[in-house]
Amino acid sequence: MYQSLLTRRYLTSKIMPWLAMVSVALCCMITLVVWSIMGGFLDVFKDIGRKMEGDVSITWPTVGFGYYEDLISRLEKDPMVAGAAPVIRTYGMVSLPDDRAVAATIQGVDGRYAKIGNFEESIWWRPLGRAVRKDARAQDPRLNPNWWREMEDTFRVTKSLDGRPVEAPPPGSFRSWEQMYEDGKRLMVRDPRTGEDRAAAVPGIELGGFSQRQPGGWYKAPEFAASRRSDGQNVWSSAFLPSRSIMITVLPMDRNGRDIATRSLKLPVANEFRSGFFETDKSTMLVHLSVLQKLLKMEAGEVLGAGPVNPYAIEGEDGSERPAEAKVVRVEPAKVTTVLVRAKSGVASEELRDRVEGIYEGFARAHEGHVPSGDQMRTSRGITTWERSFAVFIGQVQKETVTVLMLLLLISLVCTVLILAIFWSMVNEKTKDIGILRSVGCSRGGVAWIWLRYGATIGLVGAVLGLAAGCAIVWNINPIHEWLGQVAGIQMWDPSVYYLPEIPNKVRADKAAIVGASAVFLSLMGALVPAVRAANMDPVRALRFE
Amino acid sequence: MAVDGTGAMGAGGVILSCSGVYKTYRLGRVDVPVLHGVSMSVREGEWVAILGASGSGKSTLMHILGGLDRADRIVRRTACPKCAYDLTGLKAEVCPECGGSVAGILPSEKPAATRVEFRGQDLTRMSVSQLDTYRNRSVGFVFQFYHLLPELTVVENALLPAMQRWGRLGFMRKRGELMGQARMILESFGLGHRLEHRPAELSGGERQRTAIARALINDPPILLADEPTGNLDQKTGESILDSVARARGGSAPGQANAAKRTIVMVTHDARVAARADRVVRLVDGRVAEGVEAGTGV
Repeated sequence: MYQSLLTRRYLTSKIMPWLAMVSVALCCMITLVVWSIMGGFLDVFKDIGRKMEGDVSITWPTVGFGYYEDLISRLEKDPMVAGAAPVIRTYGMVSLPDDRAVAATIQGVDGRYAKIGNFEESIWWRPLGRAVRKDARAQDPRLNPNWWREMEDTFRVTKSLDGRPVEAPPPGSFRSWEQMYEDGKRLMVRDPRTGEDRAAAVPGIELGGFSQRQPGGWYKAPEFAASRRSDGQNVWSSAFLPSRSIMITVLPMDRNGRDIATRSLKLPVANEFRSGFFETDKSTMLVHLSVLQKLLKMEAGEVLGAGPVNPYAIEGEDGSERPAEAKVVRVEPAKVTTVLVRAKSGVASEELRDRVEGIYEGFARAHEGHVPSGDQMRTSRGITTWERSFAVFIGQVQKETVTVLMLLLLISLVCTVLILAIFWSMVNEKTKDIGILRSVGCSRGGVAWIWLRYGATIGLVGAVLGLAAGCAIVWNINPIHEWLGQVAGIQMWDPSVYYLPEIPNKVRADKAAIVGASAVFLSLMGALVPAVRAANMDPVRALRFE
Repeated sequence: MAVDGTGAMGAGGVILSCSGVYKTYRLGRVDVPVLHGVSMSVREGEWVAILGASGSGKSTLMHILGGLDRADRIVRRTACPKCAYDLTGLKAEVCPECGGSVAGILPSEKPAATRVEFRGQDLTRMSVSQLDTYRNRSVGFVFQFYHLLPELTVVENALLPAMQRWGRLGFMRKRGELMGQARMILESFGLGHRLEHRPAELSGGERQRTAIARALINDPPILLADEPTGNLDQKTGESILDSVARARGGSAPGQANAAKRTIVMVTHDARVAARADRVVRLVDGRVAEGVEAGTGV
């Protein structure tokens, strides 16, 4: 009883415990902020990666493998598999409307890609019913259903800008948000002249650098881009990528990995996607699978046997015989480099990978000699989980997180020593009180409990204050970051360095609980030595203490 | 009159006694003997004054009687039994003067002979927690410098031993009763208007009366007062002695114990000692020959 009374009175009559409490609160706050941001970074990275890459991938890079439809149908029969999708991945150059050419990962996908993750959700330009949370002034162009008409009008009316001519894109280039969304999902655009569907591209929204992300989290649709016509004249043209075409250049290779010849193709842009992972949004472009198969010579085709060395050679004594024509020796199936597999809910990636390895074994036996064998896949780690493919990166982030947490633990230990020093000094100051308590019969344990309780209270109050402050900071980290950028020109979070365009701003309850519990524990540890000292004081000496 | 101060007066049996109590304090590297085989006893309801000059060991004796300190278990020699060489402060096993052995304990001063008894229970054999309980329930201390907790109010200071005695749940259950009891004792000492004041807001006399109230809250059979008037002017000191006398007179207000409380009061002032039934004189850590009777007023 007297312990709680004294703890309360000591807390309210001294400044030192408040200083200790502030130090506990600061430690808690810093730890929670750092852990939430770094851990959140990893969580977001894993979440986005899984949505883009599926749980397990089967990859035979560059040259790819055939009969993938058979493999997909075998996979989709398995109860663990939610879906599978064929993908071709290659590197190439993308020529942009302003004549820049940038290197990019070009990924060929078809409609099945939507089964793997959130491709349809990632398509950016689409109708929006209400403004995103941070777009307080509703400036997002997607909120305006007539935006595309206004753009057409702009280009119809504006003939020149800054003394340079403005080139309007061909009619039908600006489409409604609904149409653009549908086109994006299909990776196709309807040709306004012929009415036929044309294969199209969907680049990451950061790839062109035209669409500018606003602090509110939305993108400003760009209007004009400076470019140069083939006759050398500088002009203004539309900078809105989905109203333009872009050229992709890839390097097909034969089955032995030798280059054949570069291939280029101009494709209309159906839409843009935003995965939320800056690196992907900056350097990836999606095209229809069939386009890449054709460009990379991975489409289905006939393989001819040996033909004449010279088809015009004169054969036969009188020259009447024609050289033998090459014959079709086999039909080569279409190929892909990767099949992505999505697990059903509740199935672990590792578990699915083992199952996929088994399924692939059967598939490889069925197509022996035409696809990489099960052993080849195993030794090359061609079948792997997403986490394993990015193990180095994930491991680095995890190690960095642990390192930072260790540093924060050291800081917290300094805080513990601070509490110890404050309590030591308070026990010194209260030596006579301890003697008085012992003289009225208070036990050693009871005296120790005063200080332990005192330490626990400081830890608890400090932890609550620190966690509250930490949560407030994490939840508002992006506005704070933007405010710092505006006021002091400080930009700590560079999306190109940290991959994510926004600082993770989620606080996990388990992490907050661990931080809070550690604060109370370390405060108790800080109070322990002074408490033991107080308990072991000789009451007579304590009463005589001056 | 007995030389060991056991010449107890009064009708009751012995409530508190000690025999062969030695105590040596170590100051730096020097052992300072304070008590040299003190023996005395106090009867139920008796008011005994331990009178002695400063440094005579009277406070130490009171602390030992109150279970706040323990008598030495091993008696150190102070002089060589052969040549009487002064061994104070030395740890030698051999006398530096005559070379004789000075290890061990004098036959007449075996630690087994050291006893401090409360109603027949030997305090020297009690565990730490038993001594805590003894101090809490059987003894009430009043110190020269009041020793009140500055953060607590008058009533909270007075209730401190009761808080320890009844624990959190017990205290909460009996809160009203204990508060009423504390208020009654404090009001009887003229502190009714000071209940919510802090010690710093009180006069010396008021602080000491608060300390007496605290000593009485658990209705202990013994009140141990260490120079209760030593820090007060004569007039206030007199009023404090009156309060002590009132505390002795059966139970404190609101308490059921009808027997007279035993008081052991340490003082260096003969006039103060004169208020006691009996005076035990302590000189250089030994009970002086002859026991004086006080006035008992």
